Formats: sequence, C-alpha cells, structure tokens
Amino acid sequence: MSQQLNPASLSQTAEGTSQPADFASRMEGERSRGKGRKDRVVLKVDNLRIHYATPQGDVIAVSDISFKLYEGETLGLVGESGCGKSTTAYGILQLVQPPGYIVNGSIEVDGTEVLDLEEEELRKFRWTGLSLIPQGAMNSLNPTMRVKDQIIDVIEAHEGKQSDKEALRERIFGLFQNVGLPNRIYNMYPHELSGGMKQRVCIAMGVALHPTAVIADEATSALDVVVQRIVAQTLIKVKDEIGVSLIVIGHDMGLLAQIVDRIAVMYAGKMVEIAPVENVYAQPLHPYTQLLIDSIPSIKERKPLKITEGITHDPRNPPSGCIFRLRCPFAWGHCAEVEPRQIMVEDLHEVACHLYDEQFHERRANALATIANS
Amino acid sequence: MGGISLNYLLRRLLVFFLTLWVAATLIFIIPRLAPGDPIAAMVARLSYQAGFVENADLIIEGWKERFGLNDPVYVQYLRFMTGLLGGDLGYSMARFPSTVTELVGRALPWTIGLVGISTFIFFVVGNLCGALLAWARTPRLVKVLIPMSMIFTSIPPLLAGLLLSYTFAFLLGWFPQTYSYGFGLTPGLTLEFIASVIHHGILPAMAIVIVTFGYWALGMRGMMVTIEGEDYMILAQAKGLKPFYVLYRYMIRNAILPQMTALAVSIGTLVNGVVLVEVIFNYNGMGTLIVTALREQDFGLIQGTSFILIVTSALAVLIIDLSYPLIDPRISLEGR
Repeated sequence: MSQQLNPASLSQTAEGTSQPADFASRMEGERSRGKGRKDRVVLKVDNLRIHYATPQGDVIAVSDISFKLYEGETLGLVGESGCGKSTTAYGILQLVQPPGYIVNGSIEVDGTEVLDLEEEELRKFRWTGLSLIPQGAMNSLNPTMRVKDQIIDVIEAHEGKQSDKEALRERIFGLFQNVGLPNRIYNMYPHELSGGMKQRVCIAMGVALHPTAVIADEATSALDVVVQRIVAQTLIKVKDEIGVSLIVIGHDMGLLAQIVDRIAVMYAGKMVEIAPVENVYAQPLHPYTQLLIDSIPSIKERKPLKITEGITHDPRNPPSGCIFRLRCPFAWGHCAEVEPRQIMVEDLHEVACHLYDEQFHERRANALATIANS
Repeated sequence: MGGISLNYLLRRLLVFFLTLWVAATLIFIIPRLAPGDPIAAMVARLSYQAGFVENADLIIEGWKERFGLNDPVYVQYLRFMTGLLGGDLGYSMARFPSTVTELVGRALPWTIGLVGISTFIFFVVGNLCGALLAWARTPRLVKVLIPMSMIFTSIPPLLAGLLLSYTFAFLLGWFPQTYSYGFGLTPGLTLEFIASVIHHGILPAMAIVIVTFGYWALGMRGMMVTIEGEDYMILAQAKGLKPFYVLYRYMIRNAILPQMTALAVSIGTLVNGVVLVEVIFNYNGMGTLIVTALREQDFGLIQGTSFILIVTSALAVLIIDLSYPLIDPRISLEGR
C-alpha cells in the first residue's frame, strides 16, 4: 500500500511516455471491482452550483460541478471538511436547507430532470429515485417511533396503505435479512439499538423501495473501525444484491479505497479529479489529490502533513482562475488567469488542472520530477 | 420497553401520600401558630353584630370543648389525621353545622370542570399555535395572526377576567356575569341545565385560556424549532413523506414531550389563577369558597379547602407523571 501511495511511482510513468493513454493500458484488467455496467448513466449532474446566503454575501459551497454515475457503480466523494461533499449530496437530493439554495445546474436521474419537478412529483420521486443513508445514524431515526413504523411509513407514503400486514412484515424481515439485522428489532424503539444496528436500519430503509441510486453521507464516520468495516461491507453487499448505484461520501480514504469503483475528489466546492479508484491511489494527477493521498497516515513512518501548506481562501470571494492555486506547489501565472476545465485524461478519469493541458506538458514533466525528488 | 413496573408505581404512590401527609401536617400547624383565637373572634363578631352576647365566656368555653381545642396538641393532631383518613374535614365554623366535606363536595366538581376544560383548551390551542408558528408550510397570514392573539399573555388572569366580564357580560350582555348555572334550574342531566353550565362557563374558561395559551405557544415554538434541526427531520424529508404526516408524527410528537413536563410543573400556579377568576365571576367553585372562608376567618374551611386543592394538584401531577412512559418510549419507569 505504501508503495502505491508514494508519489515516486508517479514519476516512473512520467519519465516514460507521460501520455495519459498509457495509464489506461496499465489499468486494464485490474478493474475487476467494477461490477457495474459502465454504459448506462443513472445520475447526471451538470454545472451544479449551491450557495449559502449570509449577510456578508453568498458563500459558494458547490461551484459548477459535473459528474456522472453509472448503473451499478459505486462512486466515492471525498474532500476536506467543508469542501461541499455533503452539500453536493443534499443538492442532488433536493434537501439543501435554507439559507442554502441551488443557483443553477441540472440533475438528471434516469432521464428525469429533478430540479423541474413540482412539489408533489418531487415528493413521489424522493426515495424511489434517490434515497439517503444519513450522516448521523444515531439521531436519524425518530425516537418516538418503532423501527417497523419508520420503515412502514416510507413504504406507505409511496405505495399507498398496505392492507396485507403479514406480507408487509415479511417484506421488512427480508430487508432486515439483507442488512443482517435480527427480526426481534421489528418492534423496538431506536434507543434500544446500538449505533451499528441503527446504521443498518438506515441502510435497510434506504433500499426498501429499490431506488435508482443511494447516497450514503458519511454513513460510517460515527462508528468505531470494526463496526465501520461491517457496515461498509453490508452497504456494498446490499448494493450488489439489489442492484442500485451508490454514492459514498466520506473522508476516510482507506475505507473508501476498499469499497468504491471511482473516486471524485472535491476541493472548496470544485470537483478537481474523478478517477477509477486504482488510478487515484497509484497515479493521483491533480496536485490536491496528490497531497490528499500523501496525507493518509502511515503505520510505518511519521511524516509531516503537507496539506497544511498555503492558505485557504475566503469562500465568499474565491481566487481567480484555479481554486487551488493558493495552496498549490506548482501554480504559475496562468493558474490565476484561467479557470481549469475538466480534462479527460483517459476513459472515466477526469482532472481539472492546467498541468494536464497538452500545451503545458513541459511544466507537467518538471512538476512530476519535483515530486519525485522531494 | 417502556412501561411502569409495580415497584415504581408503589414508590411513586408512597411519595404521593407522603406529600399529602406533610401538607396535612402543615395545614394543622400553621393556624395554631397564628395569633388569635378563631372562636373568640367569632363570638366577638357576634357580639359586634348583636351588641351583646350573653354568657360569651361560656359559649367560647363550650365551643372549645365541642371542637376539642382544650385537648393536648398531639390528641388534636391525631384526631385531625384520623378524620382526614375517613374523609372528615371537620366543621365549618362560620356555617355550623355544615361540614367542610359537604361544602367542598359541592364546590369541587365545578372547579375541576373549569380547570380541566380550560387546561385542555389552552394546552391544545397553545401547542397547536406554537406548532403552526414554527412549521415552514403554515400560511403567512396565520403566522401574523397567532402572535397578535397572544397580547393577553402577560396580563394576570384576574385582569383578563375583569376585562371579559365587563365587555361580554356587562356591556354586550352575551354571557351571564355570575354563578355556574342559571338560577331556578335544578342540577341534573337535562339539556337546559347543561346548556346553562356551558353558557356560564365560557367566560371564566376564556379568562384562563387567553392569558395562558401564549405561554404554551411560545414554548412549543421553541421546541419545534429545535426538532426541525434534528437529523431525523432531514431523513423524513428525504423519505418523501406527506408534509402533514411529518408535522404530527415527527415534529409535534417529539416537541410535545417537554410540554407535558411543563404542564405538570405549572398545575400549582394554574390553581392560583383559577381562584381569582372564580371570585371575579362569583363562580361557585373552590376559589370562591376559599376566599369566603378567608373573609369569615373560617379556619376549618380554610384548612379543608387548602388540603383538597393540594390533593387534587398532587393527583394531577401523579397522573401526568405516570402517563409519561406512554408518550415517551425512551422513559421507562422501572424500579432500579
């Protein structure tokens, strides 16, 4: 693992052909994890922009991000706290709470434009189109309702009053079985369950209506590592069984590496890199991704945290050009003038950095050499 | 699971009876600490009215003997307590030979009815208003009207009673000014009598409700705002539940819990307000009875009415307390 994370491995490729096409050939055959069919797009986010209104001006939480989610795929969304991961998720789910609001963008789920839905249409779309596995499972269940009632209410809100109570019960037992919960919790209240069990209830609830995609918002961050692993495995198992697409939001790069197919890296409201998970760890392209991968703690050595270098900008007044240039070790004049677009370096791998623009390939070679020497 | 164990129930009942015992003891002691002699005061009043009372000393002595005031204090105390156990609160001194139990028995149902109904109204109306104030989907007009209706919240019930009595009974004549039912009616389950009771009860009940419900509305609003920020509210929204269902099953259901606690705590204060409102409307309940007893220095009656009010308040708190596990599953009253 540490070998993989070493930026030096990047320079080997860089000294070779340095052609992005080369990565593709290296990665081919290794992508055995991608169980999803990479041909049908189930969720398409285009230029999504979300602001939080404050008396001193709008805070730009999510700034024109675009990405696609393929059928059966697991996409990881990572970044520092406050970079807009959760806001992106809540934006997609139409759950942005005031003073936040969606400025522009398009969110298509199975060809339906979510932002155009009327109130009642949106209500019916919720949970059948996109469902949420919430951040704090501890407090995400209504404390005064039995577990069964909280699953039944979502079924009945979308499928109407269920007359066959026996079938309903069997259906919920089936969901419990999917996530490895015992049937005895059927009549229990949330406070009678452990944290891991509550999180499983949330997973069972999230897949109850077989939605197109499930968004897991730091679903495991409040749990201890052992339970984290079990819950993450449950999540992937259920996802494969039911055949939904999944977006996993988190900041635990180690955990995400084990469960996702692609990783999208966000910085200050911008999507800086989207890549198959193997590429991100072996060949992080964006300087921010490189720093992020480098900051994963290692058991073998104590290393200084490089990511603290530079300053963060005021989110109300982002710098011109590239959002990361104030902290970027490779920034030059051009970065302050032109905002980098997302460059497709290979199939499914996009990066928003001028270094990967063909006209700056000399700079890229120098930058990669610098990393190799450090 | 939530529920009440027998052990807890017994302990809670023990506390209830302990409260009553302490209350009874205090009620026994306090009049005896006060200066003055109720019988001498009564005879003095008689002689003031009649000019002269023959054998006043003998009368005083005879009555003291009759009421057992010459016995040692502990004998009086034991007699008082055994009397209480048998429901005997002694005699009213001013209205001898009426017993206190008799007088209280006649007044208590009216007060319980008045307090019960007005509590029900202000609790329901107050919490509903508070919930609507906080709910995002409430029409703007309602959000403006509700705070306007709360202008009476900070005035004492006494003044609200006067204001209502003056406006609706004296000026407009819509409602009767005094008593709990029309004169000349015999209490019974007749339509006429019930209509009369409701007609007479509206103003006193309103006096209590308009000064109280704003307090509950504000408390509820605060709780609702807190609930709105809870994680499960986001999930409820994401689940695409119907808005009204979310309002009552997720928001009100959770916000009402602290309000129930507050209700139990406020019952004592509530009774204070009712006493004065009853006096304003000359409503023949416990409040009027207590004030009459105070005016007439009728010690037996003061003791009896105070004790009964304490019993009923303690009972109401006990009921709310025991019903708590039924409304909040996280609380189980199990003996530990």
